Amino acid sequence: MDLLAMRESYQQQRVMLCFNGPISRSLIEEIGNALRNYLDSEQAALSSSMDVFAIYIEMTQNIRHYSRRRQYGERDATATVAVGRDDAGRYTVSAGNLVEADDGRELAKVIEEIGELDKAELKQAYKRQLRQPRDADSTRGAGLGLLDMARKSSLPLQARLQPLPNGQAFFSLTATV
Amino acid sequence: MNSDIQISGTQSTPTVRGDWETGCLTMQGDSYPENAFELFDQIIRWIGSFLEQNRLPLRLELQLVYLNTSSVKAMMDIFDLLEDAHRQGRPVSVDWRYHAENERIAELAEEFREDCTFPFAIEPKQATP
Repeated sequence: MDLLAMRESYQQQRVMLCFNGPISRSLIEEIGNALRNYLDSEQAALSSSMDVFAIYIEMTQNIRHYSRRRQYGERDATATVAVGRDDAGRYTVSAGNLVEADDGRELAKVIEEIGELDKAELKQAYKRQLRQPRDADSTRGAGLGLLDMARKSSLPLQARLQPLPNGQAFFSLTATV
Repeated sequence: MNSDIQISGTQSTPTVRGDWETGCLTMQGDSYPENAFELFDQIIRWIGSFLEQNRLPLRLELQLVYLNTSSVKAMMDIFDLLEDAHRQGRPVSVDWRYHAENERIAELAEEFREDCTFPFAIEPKQATP
């Protein structure tokens, strides 16, 4: 395994911290902890560091909820997570996972709709979503988390759906604080 | 149920203490469990019993630092309960204290307060060095 090539690729893409593999509840907490410590050591503004942490939590918990809803086994219930910086020095939080292609398309559509809302509309949509019955099961179940991420981002959320030969797709989402 | 409630905090769940004799419920720490309702159901039940069986005022003292959206939804249910009680003439109040640098939690508390008509204080406290 060429760890040096991996390391160089991360550095080139300005990745500070990343993870790939089955993601458990406790792992989310541990990586979250590491992330908080890292941001502390970088002396990030508290509000930026809170936003990065919050987006990371919503993204990874959405992936866990989705994997559970689709009753994925260990192999598919994995996540790829990376926190880094963009060219302008802003923090970016990205997470990707395997999804059913239809779910991925639906999700991409929701994110596109959210991207058209301004800050005031996002707040309205967030408050409306908050009042939805909690067990309303749908692929839009991730709605509140997505709206929360969008509100904490300085740019619209970027989604990408890459189809795989087996009918599934890899869905990735990036938020910029 | 007419007794105290006490829940130890963890990295991702708050420390909760409800005193039946004084009508004071405190919650402090982070709250980001995957399914907040597993935790909050018992708190919501305690508040419900208190409002039903106890005639004392109910006071929430919050020092919550970060809430995920699942916890935000559960907190909204708590504030809705308080709002209903207030509209029926029960004295209820919230006192949310936060570290002065943590603007994000102040903004969240502010958004909760927008939907409440009972006394709801949001106060910065000095950051610990």
